[in-house]
Amino acid sequence: MNYVKTLIRNLIRGPSTVAYPFGPAWTPVHFRGRVEFKLSSCTACRACEQVCAPGAIRFDKTPEGLRFMLWHNTCVFCGLCEYYCPTDAIRQTDDWHMAHATANQYQMAIREVIPYVSCSACGTKALASAPNPVGVIPPFSAEEIEQQRNLCPGCRKTALAERGVTK
Amino acid sequence: MTTLIQTLSNRVRNMASRSPWIYRINAGSCNGCDVECATTALIPRYDVERLGCQYCGSPRHADIVLITGPLTARVKDAVMRVYAEVPEPKVTVAVGVCPISGGIFRDGYAVHAPIDQHLPVDVNVPGCPPRPQAIIEGIAQAIAIWRERL
Repeated sequence: MNYVKTLIRNLIRGPSTVAYPFGPAWTPVHFRGRVEFKLSSCTACRACEQVCAPGAIRFDKTPEGLRFMLWHNTCVFCGLCEYYCPTDAIRQTDDWHMAHATANQYQMAIREVIPYVSCSACGTKALASAPNPVGVIPPFSAEEIEQQRNLCPGCRKTALAERGVTK
Repeated sequence: MTTLIQTLSNRVRNMASRSPWIYRINAGSCNGCDVECATTALIPRYDVERLGCQYCGSPRHADIVLITGPLTARVKDAVMRVYAEVPEPKVTVAVGVCPISGGIFRDGYAVHAPIDQHLPVDVNVPGCPPRPQAIIEGIAQAIAIWRERL
């Protein structure tokens, strides 16, 4: 009579099939999906480009600045870029709705440019990237990040030395 | 007589558009995407047959082709031969990042990725491997394209 028990149990529990695509689908909490890039936090250290196994991340020098490019059709969602990013500029979301028509395949990319600025102290051309926060105690405040962003690498060092930080 | 034939062919077209058959081609895949494709079809949790699809064993019965793998040099001729046997109209779905761009095998000497320079691909499902729901999403898009082509 075991089958009667199973039958009743199954009737009570309902179907085990996930309703998707006719209903919502469950996504695990730490699902590694589509990558997001936050330009304002990027330090242009290029660690993500270095660790990216399939070469999905690329930095190019353009006349406007340093261009960050990530193509989701090569990304294998390993999460190394997120792990090595010192400022959490690159982050993985739990979005997995990425099926698309082949005509749109080159729109499945992130293209962002870190612009050049002239250094506010000495006037040389420099990248307006966020300062590297590793080893900076106490951590940078929001105003300090904006100040550092407008400095060239040499003047950033001077500013950090005046601040009294041993890196 | 012509009206009868037209009515019949319309009827058949309507019926066929609700039950596309799926054929899988492994173009040198690591088996990750193949496992996910099998999961999509075989276990009741995902069950692609709700969309009217069925996996078939012969390319000559197929309507939708799922291709996995970066098209390795060794398997290329076989894949092109099998793909040519699938009757028109057909819809091709590239499952995983390997057929779309090569994935981690990109620019490798033994792979001919991306696959869309050798055969027409209609839908891409990126992922390494894509989760079964993502494959179902891709198949749903493929069915919509197939209805238009029929």
